[in-house]
Amino acid sequence: MTWIDFPLYCAIIVILWIIGLVFLLVSYKKEAVLKVATILFIAGWAVLILFIIKLWIELNRPPMRTLGETRLWYAIFLPLIGFVTFIRWKYKWFLAYSFVMAGMFLAINYMNPETYSKTLMPALQSPWFIPHVLVYLFSYAVLAASSIVAIKGLYDNLKGSFHIETLKLADNLVYIGFAFLTLGLLFGALWAKEAWGHYWTWDPKEVWAFLTWMGYLIYIHYRNFHMNNTKQALTILALAFVVLLVCWFGVNYLPVANTSVHTYTQ
Amino acid sequence: MGESNYQVQRNLWDNPWGYIESFFIGLGLITTGFFLEVFVTSSNTFTLSYPYSVVFLAGYVLILFVLFKWFSTTKLIRWLTKVPASISSISLVTMMVMIMGIIPQVTSQNNIINNLGLNHITSNWAFLLILFQFLTCLGLISIKRILQFKWANFGFILNHVGLFLALIAGILGTGDLQRLSINVYENKPSWIATDAQENEIELPFAFYLKDFLIDEYNPKLALVDNKTGSIAHNDGKNLYLIEKGETYFFNNFEVKIDEFLPNAIRFGMRYEVVNEIGSPPAAKITIKNTETDAIQTGWISSGSFRYPYESFKINEDYSVVMTIPEAKKFSSDIDILTKKGERISTILEVNKPFSYKGWEIYQLSYDDKMGKWSNLSVLELVKDPWLPLIYIGIFMMIAGAIYMFWMGNKITKNQP
Repeated sequence: MTWIDFPLYCAIIVILWIIGLVFLLVSYKKEAVLKVATILFIAGWAVLILFIIKLWIELNRPPMRTLGETRLWYAIFLPLIGFVTFIRWKYKWFLAYSFVMAGMFLAINYMNPETYSKTLMPALQSPWFIPHVLVYLFSYAVLAASSIVAIKGLYDNLKGSFHIETLKLADNLVYIGFAFLTLGLLFGALWAKEAWGHYWTWDPKEVWAFLTWMGYLIYIHYRNFHMNNTKQALTILALAFVVLLVCWFGVNYLPVANTSVHTYTQ
Repeated sequence: MGESNYQVQRNLWDNPWGYIESFFIGLGLITTGFFLEVFVTSSNTFTLSYPYSVVFLAGYVLILFVLFKWFSTTKLIRWLTKVPASISSISLVTMMVMIMGIIPQVTSQNNIINNLGLNHITSNWAFLLILFQFLTCLGLISIKRILQFKWANFGFILNHVGLFLALIAGILGTGDLQRLSINVYENKPSWIATDAQENEIELPFAFYLKDFLIDEYNPKLALVDNKTGSIAHNDGKNLYLIEKGETYFFNNFEVKIDEFLPNAIRFGMRYEVVNEIGSPPAAKITIKNTETDAIQTGWISSGSFRYPYESFKINEDYSVVMTIPEAKKFSSDIDILTKKGERISTILEVNKPFSYKGWEIYQLSYDDKMGKWSNLSVLELVKDPWLPLIYIGIFMMIAGAIYMFWMGNKITKNQP
């Protein structure tokens, strides 16, 4: 079983990334070693991709059903976002953050081993399944990245070293993340019509997905019309991420959970 | 807002109204809504159905248009088309939906929840009123941007008009939405469906179920605590599929599947393959205790509605059991029979509905107890005449999201 191999894959990836992070740190002093860090990051990422491909083949279904499986996708998307953002914005701290976060998600999976089940209930066997989940997880990863920018912004604000560029990076990420969030939500609605007969049933997960969407909607509107109230904007962004986390993990612990169709962990 | 109130506070409410005034009005609407919930007791929820819903939509859009075109200089309309009104109504709608996300939307023991109607938010007056303000803001600014059309506003219009259409069609559509379910038995025509209130409704056509088919996954293997009867491995999650030749490990037990029979009945010391209704799956297993090297062999079976299950007791504390197989796919091979004598054949499956005369027909469920021997198939029929409008809204928003992705992409360091 592939899952038994996970500790091995996980160890290889995490070690590669840790060495990469050390090189990234050194590159603040000596720019030339940045290349080494990049190679190590990409190597770790390639191992992770290999693992998920093997897992997909082994399970004979898309590995996107359980929380643990979604964490794997998160760990795949974060480095991608880190790199693209780094190429455009040249923030090394952001690159480091994306790999630390991705490594953390792998570590969580390592500590909560799951024996992947091959079964997939009929409702999930749909061409919408893969786009719906991938678009959502990509959006979550981008929005999580925007929230770390918000936290850095608030910290800088406290120290008086805030620069408006930080907020522009946040905007950049929120716009992209929100676009994907909207797509995920709408794909979900289109799929629900096919599978359950109605596009919207106020299922607890739907309620919280809608709330997440509204949270970022507030941020976007606020930013558009109050360019200079940076601190308030950063606070809204941080709060919106709290709602996102409730939607992703928290719903299962709320009193409404037992009425949800989105709890697939048995 | 009463007229007198408006007059008295006029001096306080300086032009233009900002966030304090906006939240004041929004919370006022919500409070009014809660008063209505507490004092106006009505057992049936407020819904509009055809033709009133269409009249309402046309009237509403017309009024918004008139208001924007000829009354845009009034205080109220200027406020509704400005950002504070938008942000306050987005925030307050979010707040109301958050209540829905926390309090289960079912009958409650708590009097406060019942009286304020917090367990039926979607039909709660407080929610409907603030949603109405939200829609009015959205409608007015959509009209504003359409009338002042520029290509730079294209994405804005897609997003806002799309959301407006999807929301209003969704809300008004609930009054015209019909959801029925019907029990269809093998080799029998059925035409009496039931709605959510258990009313019987006669359909203008009948269903004839030729065959109901279930494709199952293999059953799973679990370790059970003899005292509590609960699964003692991996928090009860993600059990192992039973396949011939596989070996699994539970704590210090190595369990090997020697044989797997999908349909079998016990004959004396062993199970034999049979082809009989209700014959459950069975497996022969060998269990090795890795500490003592002791080996045990036996049979387990999930049982069915006709035969008892059989577990294998390893020791005082644990037993190995086989779970009931999960459905992989279920489908109904049906004919739709019309009064004119037509016969339309189709196969219904989960995620593959069939459209017929404005109805979407879905495979809903079957008799779980009978499992794969079920000769009952439950179908669902949905008629939603507002769906085209909702789809227009959804596809406008999808286009708007792609536009937004493109714009978000362009934000760079050196942008002004």
